[in-house]
Amino acid sequence: MNQSGLHARGRDMFGLCCLPGECVLQRAVLVRKKLSPKEGGGWLSGTLFCTHFRVAFVPQDSPRPDDNADPVLLGDHDVALASIEKVVAVGPLRTKLVTPSSSLKFTPEELILYCRDLRVLCFLFDRLTPDTQAVEITYTIAKTYHPLKPGTILSFQNAALGSIEMKQFLSNRRRDSGMNWFESSGDWEQELERTGATGWRVSSVNDRFEMSTSLSRFNVVPQKVLDTELKKTFAHFNEGRIPRWVWRHPHGSDLLRMASFQNNIYHEKDDIRNLELILFGGQSQCIVVDLGDEMPSPADLQLAHTRLRTLCLGDISSSVSVPDDKWLSSLEGTHWLDYIRCCLRKAAEVACLLRRGHLTVVLQEPEDRDMNCVVSSLVQVMCDQHCRTVAGFQALVQKEWVVAGHRFLSRINYHRDSDKEEAPIFLLFLDCVWQLWAQFPARFQLTEDFLLALHDSLHLPLFSTFLANCQRERCRRSQNLPQSYTPVNGLRELPRGSVEEPVDPPYPPVWDWALQYSTQRRALFTQPVCQPSTPAPVLNGNFNTNLGPNWISDGVPGSVFLLSRSLFSCPSNLLPWRSGGGSVSYRKSHRRAPSSESLPALERLIKACGQPDPLQDIHDPHQPLIPLLLGPCVRIWRNCYLRGALHAQAFTHPMSSNARHPVERLASEVEHLRERLAQASVGRPPNRKRHEHRRLDSNLNQNTNNGTFLFSSSSSSSSSSSSSSSSSSSSSSRASQQESPSRFSARPPAAARYRDGGGKHTFLFGHQGEPQSSQRYAPCPGAKLPKNSGPSGAKTH
Amino acid sequence: MLSLGGGGAKSSKPSFVSYITPEEIKSEKEPPKKERHPNLLPGEVVFCSADPILKHTQDDVSQRGIFGTLLCTNFRVSFVSDETPLEETGSNLGDLISLQMLFCFVVYDEKRKMITGGMLKNKYPSKMIIHCKDLRVFQFCLTFTKEEDARKIFHGIAHHCLEPKSLKCVFAFSYAVSRSPEMQRSQRTVMFDSKEDWAQEMKRTKGNCRIVTENEGFKLSTRLPKYFIIPSSVTDEDLFKFQGKGLPIWCWSHHSGCALFKASTLPVPQEDGVIQRYMERMLDAAAQTHLYSLKIEDLSETLPTVQDIQQSYAKFKQFFLIDNSTDFWVSDVKWFSSVENTGWMDIIRKCLQKAVEVVECLEKENTNILIMEEEGTDLCCVISSLVQIMLDPHYRTLTGFQGLVQKEWVAGCHAFLDRCNHLCQKDKESPSPIFLLFLECVWQLVQQHSPAFQFSETYLTVLSDSVHVPVFSTFLFNSAYQRESTLKAESQHPQRGPLNCPAVWDWSVQFDCKAQELFLNPLYADKLKQDKVLRKVPRPKHQRQLSLPSSAFKTPPKKGFFKDETESLKKMLRVKRISRWMASPDSPAANTREFYEAWQRRPLDHHGLLLPWLDGPAVRLWMQRYLRWIPEVQILGGGPVAVTNKMAELLVQVQELRKKLDLKGCWQPEAERVQLQPRPLALARNSLRLSSAFPFASSRNWTFKPVIPTSLLQSLMLTDKLASQEDETTEVISLV
Repeated sequence: MNQSGLHARGRDMFGLCCLPGECVLQRAVLVRKKLSPKEGGGWLSGTLFCTHFRVAFVPQDSPRPDDNADPVLLGDHDVALASIEKVVAVGPLRTKLVTPSSSLKFTPEELILYCRDLRVLCFLFDRLTPDTQAVEITYTIAKTYHPLKPGTILSFQNAALGSIEMKQFLSNRRRDSGMNWFESSGDWEQELERTGATGWRVSSVNDRFEMSTSLSRFNVVPQKVLDTELKKTFAHFNEGRIPRWVWRHPHGSDLLRMASFQNNIYHEKDDIRNLELILFGGQSQCIVVDLGDEMPSPADLQLAHTRLRTLCLGDISSSVSVPDDKWLSSLEGTHWLDYIRCCLRKAAEVACLLRRGHLTVVLQEPEDRDMNCVVSSLVQVMCDQHCRTVAGFQALVQKEWVVAGHRFLSRINYHRDSDKEEAPIFLLFLDCVWQLWAQFPARFQLTEDFLLALHDSLHLPLFSTFLANCQRERCRRSQNLPQSYTPVNGLRELPRGSVEEPVDPPYPPVWDWALQYSTQRRALFTQPVCQPSTPAPVLNGNFNTNLGPNWISDGVPGSVFLLSRSLFSCPSNLLPWRSGGGSVSYRKSHRRAPSSESLPALERLIKACGQPDPLQDIHDPHQPLIPLLLGPCVRIWRNCYLRGALHAQAFTHPMSSNARHPVERLASEVEHLRERLAQASVGRPPNRKRHEHRRLDSNLNQNTNNGTFLFSSSSSSSSSSSSSSSSSSSSSSRASQQESPSRFSARPPAAARYRDGGGKHTFLFGHQGEPQSSQRYAPCPGAKLPKNSGPSGAKTH
Repeated sequence: MLSLGGGGAKSSKPSFVSYITPEEIKSEKEPPKKERHPNLLPGEVVFCSADPILKHTQDDVSQRGIFGTLLCTNFRVSFVSDETPLEETGSNLGDLISLQMLFCFVVYDEKRKMITGGMLKNKYPSKMIIHCKDLRVFQFCLTFTKEEDARKIFHGIAHHCLEPKSLKCVFAFSYAVSRSPEMQRSQRTVMFDSKEDWAQEMKRTKGNCRIVTENEGFKLSTRLPKYFIIPSSVTDEDLFKFQGKGLPIWCWSHHSGCALFKASTLPVPQEDGVIQRYMERMLDAAAQTHLYSLKIEDLSETLPTVQDIQQSYAKFKQFFLIDNSTDFWVSDVKWFSSVENTGWMDIIRKCLQKAVEVVECLEKENTNILIMEEEGTDLCCVISSLVQIMLDPHYRTLTGFQGLVQKEWVAGCHAFLDRCNHLCQKDKESPSPIFLLFLECVWQLVQQHSPAFQFSETYLTVLSDSVHVPVFSTFLFNSAYQRESTLKAESQHPQRGPLNCPAVWDWSVQFDCKAQELFLNPLYADKLKQDKVLRKVPRPKHQRQLSLPSSAFKTPPKKGFFKDETESLKKMLRVKRISRWMASPDSPAANTREFYEAWQRRPLDHHGLLLPWLDGPAVRLWMQRYLRWIPEVQILGGGPVAVTNKMAELLVQVQELRKKLDLKGCWQPEAERVQLQPRPLALARNSLRLSSAFPFASSRNWTFKPVIPTSLLQSLMLTDKLASQEDETTEVISLV
């Protein structure tokens, strides 16, 4: 979020801070927006705009936008035109679905926008709103919102990002270096090092996408396999998606993923050796987890999701509603929760398998581009603490989805070109993560707001992350663009100001959250009181590999098992080259698999996994999260699916915007007291253990508003903290550091704007049965906050 | 002396892996037998006992268990484990079982049979499965015991738990703890057993009625409390006319001056019109006192009957009484629809819906409300209590809530004895979980508006359990008259000391201080400036409404939601009524939507009106109560407990920091920014091990070792709540 030297990017039109090149098509004054309970409930009055990129709402008392600030695509109350799915006008007597061709015979009193991301925005026109404005803006929105079609998507993208200023701005944006992008071989090496995996190397044999078009440029394979040998194995797999290493469990087993075998190929003897090497990767056993037949198909998922949307949205224009007493069975009838359960269950099984150590678990799916992504990343969220932080989660999505070639473009189906391919696989994954989060809120650093942001961004066709089917497409496009943002390392320093006119606007990655969300809202992505997100110390090496007598290995080295339908088996045709016709020498070299009878049922395995390990510390934060999957435990993601529905207000009670969440209050109180303690004891060496309290400066602003605050927010605290420990500023959160100049200059607006943000800050708490609305703080299991840490420098302004 | 031969033979069966070999049992049997008695309560008598009994853990995979002695006393069925807990507590409490028994299943040779009173077979069963009223399930294997012992214990349990008995046999009358009377006085719950209590309540709500003292000796009616309040214009002559039937009994006054009344219905009108005229006078009295109109709501016509509620609950609870986890995995697939099909959630919704309608009348239209029911003591209690909770923040505090239960239910003569079936009567008509239904409704409110309530859901769960503990006078009687007369008769009993029947509100009988802390909601948004009790003066609600931007939100014509009353009733009533009910067949939800929207537009006030949300996804399952004993659904180290725990941690931190600042002498308490009342929640330890069922079950017993619940419980702070006090929570006997 560097300050680029661009000028006059934000242009003020009628109080709306426009993007470069954006123009206001219509506006209506004296409009009130209905705030969701999460935003504090009630109504907010202001002005409604429709540009050719978004529907924007500017609250009445909002500060004048700062012209020098970086352009933000969407304000807190805005919605992009591409996210709108339906426009409904409510008149005194009737409601009408407004389409570009329809005519409105009444003056709307209320305008409801149904969005693809399941938000519902409701605007009320006041009596004082000129009737023409009310009618016109309804028309304008209906005419300009983009039903997804190839042409409109492109024009939408151009409206948002097409201007020269915007392109320059985007190309000058620096990537978030705090997360692993998995785009260079160094990134993969870093991951190998982080997980402590040995015996693997990064191969760049697919550097030019010659071996497999859908795989990433760099893949991790066993060290023993040479590139020349590796090249021969691609042909044995569907789309050339060979078994690749993705993660190592702290107990020393490796997770791999691959596509199904090509059966109509002759397996040569040398190939077989290499194939087995790749599969085993130095471990003694290999378990192939087949995701092909028991996981829901994309078509199933699409159907379930469509049903769920209809159930949850409660569309008032189509008078189909489910009676309250049938709601639960209708929810069950969508099967969405069943699919979630299915994925979580499979991932839990794999997570338990990995605990045994000394084996490779290979996820196999015919195409290796859908369910493998879901299960593989879920396993890592369950077992790897790092993946529960924002940076770690983003890296995980990069690794398992973006680089691995999940077909985002086809699955999301922005262009509406092939409906058959459309399936909400990624949304399913997000929902699964939410289930984990809801059950174990204290073990996550990221919050529900982050998952929601990701969910919503998926419906915005602006991000390079989601606008391609594989890494090859992404690279190809970025190479066409001379000076755009390029994801490839080292190309950053391209000369600016090239004269060539790019065809497509440069798409930013979705992880550039500052483009979409204000600082206040981004602060909600993490828990307010969080421990430093250091990678788990346990995750570096073969930790605790001797698992005691309970884990007597069931098979001899070299055996391959199939896990399918919760049963182990050892079918002879599992590896096509091992079945009949294989070479005799091969059979000699490998002992027979022990038995084809079913090994202990997975149920027991999972139970044993859930059993607290007496050897481990009782506070061990690295235990895997094994989710509960029984009927009452898998729930609907209310804040996502039900947030727009009118009745959804039930789940989060509105809190007035000046009341804060108790945890928040407590956290800031702790912070405050610590501050004072530090003031009282100046000169004491600051405690080295630091905690980021990112929320703090906004809390201080809040206090300014309340008039109950003790020291002036910036000067005294920062001076005291800098005097007591000059080094503390180094630990301030990255965001505040980088933005400090702009934030400082924009102090009064920021403070005032917080009133709006304040609504978003009041999270809703306390539904005992519903933890999703609650946890705003961090897990730190066992790790107590230091009692007398010095001023933890999150407040350098 | 023990028939260990058989036991050994059994345990060598391959499917049955017992943790303790028979030899071990023998060696453990050496210590004197007395040690295995639980700490008996004063007045508790052991009827029979048997050992060794194998108690199964709930895990179906392992089929393991622990050996111990099974005892049946006049209060409870208790299981004392042979294994002494290794924990710090010296007292060997063993593993107690509270027996609010529902059913006793008996397994004869693999076949299950439900035992009801009166049909005992001589053949002794191999396995006994006990379903408790608090939804726990116990399984005992009797095959290791001597046949004679097994038969004796089985018959003993069946007899004492399942056979009808008289009120005198209830344990409360043998329970003889001498408790100083001032201890009872010290609690702040208003008991509503004196004139002053009622006068105070009327003063608090600014009611304007008169207190009837004529029923002091229950001459007027035995179904009415000693003191009650009626509209002041009811004449003394009318008071005695129909034994108090049809009298509009005052419940609560809204700050606008209108009031909520409840009444029992009169017998069918006779020809002579005496009853009609009487009824008219009553309605006039109720209406004219406050110069407002009156609306009548007959609950028996719109809400499910008492029997419906019972049947629905009987179906509903079956989903949570699980003998082994396999059952649960099976029910999993159709979970939502099967829960829904029981109709229990819908009954909850209907009750809340009805309460909202009444609230709308009081709050928006400012009319008086008279709710009627045949007896006026079942659903009337539910609705009137709910209305008061929604409207009056006083009842959302712990003491206020207890006072409300005391006022509406105990003094209001809810037939607890019959409804809870403490006496195991065979009568299928009367038992019904009405009070539980009320608690369910309150729970829905609590989970939707958590910061508005001072008490926690744990409190509600514990209260729902306590209903079945036959020690408390609160839940033991059908009416005030019965309470008074029984207690008087019993205390005059020569052999016995003074009878002491504590109220359930004396929580120290059951729980220690630490456990009682769990009753409080740490997130309660306390009113910052607590005035006196009388702070609940009429707040300028109308101003608040005016301050709203006059909306372009044109309100559709108001539709009345009270059903069209019969013509006769309309003629009968000369009171003004709003007859704007339209012909539109809208759902009730649509009718009240406007009310909701108006409420929603106001800034939320936790100390103002609260409305529940009633849509499909909003009415939810009371997880804590129903799922707490099922290990499969407990989230280890997760769930809402984790949040509360974090809160507690932060609170402790705040306190420590304050203390430190204090030492440095730079702490001015008046400068305190955050008005928190740091309550030292003691659950800050062992956070990771706490499961989502926290205060109740300890942790998943997925160890392959047999689980000794008590030892696990004791190793966790606080959870001894159930472990160490089960002396009192447990009890005998009651059967559906």
